[in-house]
Amino acid sequence: MQNLIIEAALLLFLIGTTVSVIVLKDLLSATFVYCAFSYCAVLLYLMMGSPDVAFTEAVIGVVSTIYFVVALKKLDRWCK
Amino acid sequence: MKKKYGSSVLDISFRIITPFTLIYGVYVYLNGEISPGGGFQAGALLAVGVVLARLIMGAENKIYNVSGRSAVILAGVGTFIYALTGWVTMLRGGKFLDYGFLPFAIGSHGGHMWPALHATGILFIELGVTLCVMMTIIDILDVVVERTDIE
Amino acid sequence: MRVLATIILFIVTSVFCLNVTDLPVIGDPDSAPNSHVTPHYIEFSEEDTGSPNIVTGVLADYRGFDTLWETTVMFIAGLTAVIILSKNREERFLKKKKGDKK
Repeated sequence: MQNLIIEAALLLFLIGTTVSVIVLKDLLSATFVYCAFSYCAVLLYLMMGSPDVAFTEAVIGVVSTIYFVVALKKLDRWCK
Repeated sequence: MKKKYGSSVLDISFRIITPFTLIYGVYVYLNGEISPGGGFQAGALLAVGVVLARLIMGAENKIYNVSGRSAVILAGVGTFIYALTGWVTMLRGGKFLDYGFLPFAIGSHGGHMWPALHATGILFIELGVTLCVMMTIIDILDVVVERTDIE
Repeated sequence: MRVLATIILFIVTSVFCLNVTDLPVIGDPDSAPNSHVTPHYIEFSEEDTGSPNIVTGVLADYRGFDTLWETTVMFIAGLTAVIILSKNREERFLKKKKGDKK
């Protein structure tokens, strides 16, 4: 029962972060919300019992955040 | 990104975090058979270590750095190591990537030859995957930084 | 147009949500993917591949050929990024053009 509640909360947080990444006008904060999305996915993978996939997701979340921040130097921070 | 940022907090945390990340990457590569992990994760961790050093110390730091040109070459070398393992087993009479036909084994699994040979083969192909993933990530970041740095 | 997109999205989402109830429970031993080759892997992977971690055994030994081409795809992706985005070629091309003008 406890596991189900935690999993449901994580899934709700996942949906919330996904929608806010689309809606946000500030691209820098959208990048960091995407980072939060990736760590939420890590916790979900751990609860499903696949530590290998969770490990990969954690490392790739860091790498993709660095890529986005570096690419934002050339783009505008605010999306019209 | 070419110059260093020059904040004392970043400088000191860099000295602790980067060597720790690099050593943890090597540990994940060598321990991938026993614990969660493997070639892909180890390569990504090693790349994160080098990328952190580049972000904090600037692109011209001499300590932890791989230049863009050698990164492209080393990514190809990683893929070649993987294929070479398969060709060695083919030349000795087995099928492609049939690790039972490798010429030597590192370590012994209680005197059994077959699992020891297979563990050696897995170690070699994981080395190839690690090199390829690490150098590919550094490669893409290097090119993007080259594009976005406006003088 | 936005209304149409919203309606289509709603229909597709509800179809997915209806199908979720038919999926097997996580870790169910009688489900289709868990009853074909998985018992063989769980039983013999340590003596076959010499690695206690079954995931590494399957990825690197039983499915070694797949992983080879996966690595090749990674390498080609990095190479493509370098070829498209690299500034070196562009600069050389511009220098050549300037030399022609002078």
